[in-house]
Amino acid sequence: MSDERRPRQELPPERPERAEEPAGETVPDDQGAARLTGRQRLGKAVWPPRVTRAQLIVALLLFVLGLGLAIQVRSTSENSALRGARQEDLVRILDELDDRTKRLEDEKRKLTGQRTELENSSDQAEEARKQTRQKAAQLGVLAGTVAAEGPGIRMTINDRAGTTDSDTLLDAVQELRAAGAEAMQINGVRVVASTYFTDSGGGVNVDGHKIDPPYRFEVIGKPADLEPALNIPGGVVQTLKNKQATVHVTRSEKVTVDALRQAKRPDYARSSSQ
Amino acid sequence: MIAVLGLVVGVVAGLVVRPVVPMAVEPYLPIAVVAALDAVFGGLRAMLDGIFDDKVFVVSFLSNVVVAALIVFLGDKLGVGAQLSTGVVVVLGIRIFSNAAAIRRHVFRA
Repeated sequence: MSDERRPRQELPPERPERAEEPAGETVPDDQGAARLTGRQRLGKAVWPPRVTRAQLIVALLLFVLGLGLAIQVRSTSENSALRGARQEDLVRILDELDDRTKRLEDEKRKLTGQRTELENSSDQAEEARKQTRQKAAQLGVLAGTVAAEGPGIRMTINDRAGTTDSDTLLDAVQELRAAGAEAMQINGVRVVASTYFTDSGGGVNVDGHKIDPPYRFEVIGKPADLEPALNIPGGVVQTLKNKQATVHVTRSEKVTVDALRQAKRPDYARSSSQ
Repeated sequence: MIAVLGLVVGVVAGLVVRPVVPMAVEPYLPIAVVAALDAVFGGLRAMLDGIFDDKVFVVSFLSNVVVAALIVFLGDKLGVGAQLSTGVVVVLGIRIFSNAAAIRRHVFRA
């Protein structure tokens, strides 16, 4: 204890110079302080509060410190590490971000290309399917496997004398075909490429179906072509009239050919394009 | 007592007023704060030792802050700012610890 006390007793001569307190107070205070322990000195400094120049200056500096501390803590907790990061770090981070952006851009471009490719190919496939469907529908009309409708004519042959034979009907069909008929049916029997006509007592056999007069043709094609083709001198209508049959031809904007045929799969013929 | 009040008022003011620090000073603020902390601990220790002097405290506080900021600034200019600021923080941290140990011996006698 005496060792500790000695250096402190040497202090008082310096003190009056440093602490600029009223001299009358200072000397006894310091002499008392010299014998105090650190804890007692701390307690004395804290309470009672004294407004001295030293206290005010220290308070000012500590105010600055507290201010800086609060600002720093707030800016660190508020923002990411970027705020307060130094220039070289920021440059490095920026470089990394640039690299990353470039890589991602590359990846995006690649993926966009792939997507475009896939879209194109699927578009092409869709287009091909569409064309195939159209083609199938067209061929279906020709082959008689699908119903068809469109402008055309209706022809009714009333034959009380029974003079209309298969030849006459075939002539009529040929004439209509030549005039551009695309689909036709006679009394509910579809007429296609392989259709045949045979006579059978009192009526006509079409593709094995016996039909009786009156014969009602429903034909899809250009009405302005079909009607004159039937009415030409020496043509179908005149021939039938000569045979005492009455023929009635009307144009129509909407003729429905809904008689269907089963598509027959050929046994031997194969498409040569495959 | 007034000194402690000053610290508290400073912290509160910093949190409430939210002053904007200029960009140029911003990188040096943390180092300056650590340097100031070192000065404050040194002052506290001196007070407990009974050799506290306000003039010394003011000078050491300001010079600590200025020198620390200057070292970091110089380091930034030389391209070793990160390393130098780490070094400064380590040195100041060691000083703060030794001061804190002295204060602890005074206050807790252990």
